[in-house]
Amino acid sequence: MVEIRFHSLGGQGAVTLIHLLAMAGDRMGRFVQAFPFFGAERRGAPVKSYLRVDERPIYLRSQIYRPDYVVVMNLGQTEMALSEGTKENTIFIFNATEEEASRLNHIPFEAYRVDATSIALDLGMEVEGMPLVNIPFLGAVARVTGLVNMEAIAEVLRESYPPDRAEASLEAARRGFVSVVKFKEAQEETEDSRALAGG
Amino acid sequence: MRLVETGNHVVAHAVRLARVEVVSAYPITPQTQVVEKISRFIEEEGFECEYIPVESEHSAMAAMIAAAAAGVRAFSATSAHGLVYMYELLHWAAGSRLPMVMANVNRALGPGWNIWCDQQDTMSARDTGWIQIYCSTHQEILDTVIQAYRVSEDPSVFLPVMVCYDAFTMSHTYMQVDLPDQEAVDRFLPPFRSPWRMDPRFPLTHGSVIYPQDYEETRFSIYRAHEAAKEVIRRAAEEYRDLVGGYHGDLVETYFMEEAEHAVVAVGSLALEARVAAEELRRAGHPCGVVRIRTYRPFPSEELRRLLGKMRTVVVLDRAVSFGLGGILASEVRATLGGEGPRPVSVIAGLGGRDVPYTLIAERTEAAIKGQAMEEEWPTLALSDRHRVSKEALRALGEVSEA
Repeated sequence: MVEIRFHSLGGQGAVTLIHLLAMAGDRMGRFVQAFPFFGAERRGAPVKSYLRVDERPIYLRSQIYRPDYVVVMNLGQTEMALSEGTKENTIFIFNATEEEASRLNHIPFEAYRVDATSIALDLGMEVEGMPLVNIPFLGAVARVTGLVNMEAIAEVLRESYPPDRAEASLEAARRGFVSVVKFKEAQEETEDSRALAGG
Repeated sequence: MRLVETGNHVVAHAVRLARVEVVSAYPITPQTQVVEKISRFIEEEGFECEYIPVESEHSAMAAMIAAAAAGVRAFSATSAHGLVYMYELLHWAAGSRLPMVMANVNRALGPGWNIWCDQQDTMSARDTGWIQIYCSTHQEILDTVIQAYRVSEDPSVFLPVMVCYDAFTMSHTYMQVDLPDQEAVDRFLPPFRSPWRMDPRFPLTHGSVIYPQDYEETRFSIYRAHEAAKEVIRRAAEEYRDLVGGYHGDLVETYFMEEAEHAVVAVGSLALEARVAAEELRRAGHPCGVVRIRTYRPFPSEELRRLLGKMRTVVVLDRAVSFGLGGILASEVRATLGGEGPRPVSVIAGLGGRDVPYTLIAERTEAAIKGQAMEEEWPTLALSDRHRVSKEALRALGEVSEA
């Protein structure tokens, strides 16, 4: 089983993201489970979302404390993402520019970055001033995890949206797929990083 | 057709497949998606159904009662405070022996205000005469709503059925579900033909005054109908498997109970999490199985005696409490076993949506196996010490109120 935890802000589209990833996982012949942890839903509030993908039926219904991947869609939640539980070989994917990523070197995990905000803004994908970073992440998560491929994503987008929106979304997903890049390897834990991870 | 959908939307699909004729409901978190989806089916996708947007849950159930009395197939959905607001009408529906199905998303009751998973709402309504079935997967939700109409409309039953599933862990979680063909569902579930109905051409009164010499007979008939329902539920599950496909147990569902010496008993999604705990315990050399109570009313007494009577350990998980007694399910399992087999350990956990990971279930079950568990446990409390009101805080409060 592969478990992914997402940290985002209400309005960034994480729930749509996990639903689309789950649908793509279904197309790949896997068992899937996607769920947000709901609070009082509101734009701008921190949201945690979860995705499980497995070869066999999924019985777990609890939250994910030892994720294989952590997706940080909003850098402000980096500390929260680190303190909510990780394992030794957890892999992080950040929404970050190269410059922002250079400030994440203290994190003792293998980490990737995708500038989902710029991709969304370039393509005019914005709702009430909030860039829709979810769709670029569709491609980035597919690339880093290998759980779903772009064909499955294309099918799911074309099934879910009218043609114009589906093609624009597919373009955003493609850009996320090709531009996601590893910026650091896992490293030995330091005292600082342990303190940061709440250990 | 295969969908990846929320548990709530799955209910709406089941309602359409069951060819429900009247839906009467008031939205409440976490049920809202159910009625939103049904209205969309009606407004945009040609689902022929009368949607009555009432002003409260009390009226929602009143309209359901009227619709069922007029001989049509009726549906509603609610949760927590909505359910307790219709409490009086729950008795009217069952007492009038009216077939209908209502979905309830299991959610905590306030205060404090809490929208998350808890089974106190429906378990507090266990004595209303409604049949209660608790689901644990999306496919089971779909199949159970359809089966529930067969059970409810069976002339030997004629009771309303509540289909229950957990808030968020099921209601808002996307998982796979296979929608059966309409023709297959139609073969399994023919149109509702009530032997009597309210009709202005033939005026009659129902629900009127009933004197002591007759009232008890009506209660006895409800009691008998629940007994009859056990067989009807079993038959419906089997026929559904043959005609439509999909089986989730009848009154109970078991997991690895064939060679088990220890059993975890639970309802709803906790019973699936418990499977993972049982797998872990088996790997550690403890032959452990899971009994999921699917039909809570009627209560599967014979099945539980048969399955649990010879166990060495029984752990009952509860997401609801009878204050002044203990875990509701645990109390009933103990009463059913009546001293046969081991004294079940009662584990109350996950109230108000507090997460219950399989690791905790495995840990407490292993403690029970080793004779190290208390008879009544509240293990998720131990995850924090926020339940301890400090003496300092109480003293400070006293000083404030004196001043």
